[in-house]
Amino acid sequence: MPIKNIFRSIIGLSALLLVQAPAFAATPPPAMVCESCHGTAGLGTPNLSPMLAGMDKDYLVEQINHFKNGNRKNPLMSAMAMTLATPEAVEQVATFFASLPAPVINDIEKRGDNVIITDPARKLVYQGDWSRNIPACATCHGPSGLGVAHFPRLASQHADYITSQLTAWQSKQRSGDHNNVMATIAQQLTASEIQHLAQYFAAIK
Amino acid sequence: MKTLSLILGAGLLLSTFANAEANLPDRQTELPAHAKAASSEYLVPRDLATIPDSEFGNKVKLGYSLFVNSQPMRGQYVGNEQNCANCHMQAGMKANSAPLWGAFMAYPAYRKKNDKVNTYAERIQGCFKYSMNGVAPAVDSPELVALTAYSYWLAMGGLLDKYDMQSTPIPEMSDTVVQLGGKADSFVLPEKIAAALPVEQRNKLAGRGYPKLAKSAETPSIERGEIVYKQTCASCHGAEGQGLKQDGVQSFPPLWGKDSFNWGAGMHRVNTAAYFIYENMPLGKSIQLSNQEAWDVAAFMNSHERPQDPRFTGDLKANQEQYHNHQGYYGKSVNGKVLGEHAFPVKAVD
Repeated sequence: MPIKNIFRSIIGLSALLLVQAPAFAATPPPAMVCESCHGTAGLGTPNLSPMLAGMDKDYLVEQINHFKNGNRKNPLMSAMAMTLATPEAVEQVATFFASLPAPVINDIEKRGDNVIITDPARKLVYQGDWSRNIPACATCHGPSGLGVAHFPRLASQHADYITSQLTAWQSKQRSGDHNNVMATIAQQLTASEIQHLAQYFAAIK
Repeated sequence: MKTLSLILGAGLLLSTFANAEANLPDRQTELPAHAKAASSEYLVPRDLATIPDSEFGNKVKLGYSLFVNSQPMRGQYVGNEQNCANCHMQAGMKANSAPLWGAFMAYPAYRKKNDKVNTYAERIQGCFKYSMNGVAPAVDSPELVALTAYSYWLAMGGLLDKYDMQSTPIPEMSDTVVQLGGKADSFVLPEKIAAALPVEQRNKLAGRGYPKLAKSAETPSIERGEIVYKQTCASCHGAEGQGLKQDGVQSFPPLWGKDSFNWGAGMHRVNTAAYFIYENMPLGKSIQLSNQEAWDVAAFMNSHERPQDPRFTGDLKANQEQYHNHQGYYGKSVNGKVLGEHAFPVKAVD
């Protein structure tokens, strides 16, 4: 390719990027339908929809697919997920919400930072209860429940959503977790533990 | 099995006692494996919330903290991305997951070969050198004092409760006595426990170590193990065995590579890894894999390069012959590469 053409290509490419740049920052068309419930900032709404902002992209892809294939059951979300007809659309939506900022947590708590923990929910989060084979939630969901790769963030998630999901694991309305690990753990939790865990994570801000 | 228990991590006491830099001899010998006992026999340590607010209690608390998050010791004593609790589930409390209470009561241990004794503190030094690919803290360092105090607290609380002394506080003992371990004649147990648990029986607590897994029908296969790994393990430990790390915190441990345990650690043995995996993985589930799958995936995990055996002095063959007469791939050729030849550095600390 002659030098001149290379330059022309570069200029052309740059121009293309410049033109497209604002489009990346804005909501991609397939995600517009999501915003009506999850909000333009992806922060969700109590008693309606979970926070998606800052979630791991692969996790979001997986969950949309779970709604499509029936591993997760929710009439509204199943229908909405079906509107994302192609893997590309699913990817685009997940990438968009993953890129939105989640609330910043400043003082993160790691396992071992505290030994004497009196709040039962917090104790489950950092120490688990192995008499029932429940590992510390923080083992997989990270310090302060910030999430670890495809193990979703729980910090500042809406309490009603965490409650409904733990309950869904118990009633087998939700599945598709790797090795059935989360379902197994959720089965062990009491209703009151679920309530307290949900409130605990929601309060991490 | 008796032999395995006897040769447990023995080493030199002598003048090297407090010298963390000395070359620790063949300490990381095989973990004991036992037939699985009925769960009712296992010691159950007391709730962490009962740790007293005292000087002793503070040592126990520090021990717990360092055990579940060992990374504050990174660069000083720890040379990789491992935490003690990665191999000892439930913060070292869980039966059949090499619980600290079981190990504590098994030391000091004698080694027939050279008739030397290894204290409990020295056994933990071995963990730093091998599993943590680091440099062992001195016996009298705050870290080692804390880890031994925590182990003692787990063991004593479990014993007191088992022998119906739930309201008896855990006796405070001097660091020196605690660091020897619970199998010393000088380690005084309440009369009732001492009568039920004579010194020579203390290394046989139910649930100690990892339970022995019957041999697989077919020789462990790296190839079959790779399939098991991809299906069952990779979502937590990564496609390349690197584990999962986020926000600067390694949540799931690397299983091989530069940040994993080294070629001297117990877990590089295929049998030890198979016992551990079968009993404890996936996290929170236990016993999901078949016997054959556990052996195969243990073989796969241990057929990758990792940090060098700290006892290596330049001659791979000699090191293999001296220290690797067990089921493992050190010094063996896998996919055209001899493992150990391209090992990552040891003691990756300041």
